[in-house]
Amino acid sequence: MKNVIIIAVKLAVICLVAAFVLALVNGITAPQIAASKAQAELDALSVINKAGTIGEKVEGDGAGVNYYFPVSDGGKVTNYIMSLKSVGYGGDLILLANFKTNGEVIDAKLMEDAETPGLGKKAESPEYMVKFQGTGGDKPVPVKKTMLDAKDADAVSGATITFTGVSKALEYGSEFAKKLGGQK
Amino acid sequence: MIKEFTKGLFKENPIFVIALGLCPTLATSTMVINALGMGAGVIFVLVCSNIFISLLKNFIPDNVRIPAYIVVIASFVTIVQMVMEAYAPSLYAALGVFVPLIVVNCIILGRAEAFANKNKVLPSILDGLGMGVGFTLALTLIALIREVLGSGTITLPGCVITVPVISIAPMRVIAFPAGALLVLGLLKAFFQYREGRK
Repeated sequence: MKNVIIIAVKLAVICLVAAFVLALVNGITAPQIAASKAQAELDALSVINKAGTIGEKVEGDGAGVNYYFPVSDGGKVTNYIMSLKSVGYGGDLILLANFKTNGEVIDAKLMEDAETPGLGKKAESPEYMVKFQGTGGDKPVPVKKTMLDAKDADAVSGATITFTGVSKALEYGSEFAKKLGGQK
Repeated sequence: MIKEFTKGLFKENPIFVIALGLCPTLATSTMVINALGMGAGVIFVLVCSNIFISLLKNFIPDNVRIPAYIVVIASFVTIVQMVMEAYAPSLYAALGVFVPLIVVNCIILGRAEAFANKNKVLPSILDGLGMGVGFTLALTLIALIREVLGSGTITLPGCVITVPVISIAPMRVIAFPAGALLVLGLLKAFFQYREGRK
């Protein structure tokens, strides 16, 4: 009996020390992580925004849109930059996408994901988003592999779930942009 | 003493000879840069956990040693994860889920159980370094073969080299998990053959 207590106490001591050290490291790195995330988003905003001034951040609908920024040119809203939420193969996907008021995708960027390196991770590259550009307005957003050109379909094979996650988010964002239809 | 370091490189190479830690090997060997990042993480965790387990070998009660080792290892992995996310976010993003998975990498628990809890601190450090470097070398070799044949590129920190000819029509299967098994199997066969000749 006494032996069991000693073992339990020793194990508890090891866990306590480990927890303390981790809390310390977390205290040091957490502000840095937050800063680099904010910086990455700022960088992405400036890459994704082609023209006009970015307005005040507006909260999203709590479902597929986290928040959005109306972008105006000469007092008139021309497009929206949205932070979109979706699910991929390895977990949640966060996308930043720029839509015209008619729902057309101007550009998009995958901000956060946990996809498989070499397969789903390819969605992080700017080339991946080219196939979505110009869709959502007159043309529908390609949400199935069969809606893509043979060349693009080849590029998403092996990572179909990632592709579905990205395209569904963009489709949702496109509909959301249409609904906003030029309002702030 | 120096033998504790060199044995991990070839004679007892964790991947090709002992065949430990194969899951992360198959998963992260798609690109050279991922292999190097994963290798660096494993070397750090392996050396740190070996040091602490060697120091604590008399404190840790024998019948709860595995949970105690896992707590030590998991703490170091979490530290690596937080530091990487803070100071090397692009590497962190590329490695994704495989960083937390270092915890269950059998090489680390295997070395704690087979070496660090029986030896003094200095040999344990050398053992950890040797095994870590051996793991990184093997991982990088597999990644190099897979990336060149599978995508026709070599991705190093800060630059991407495109291999002429192959990049036009790469063997896609080598970039997929099945290709990792093929490459690993052939390399292991080569090491086995080399071992058998001695």
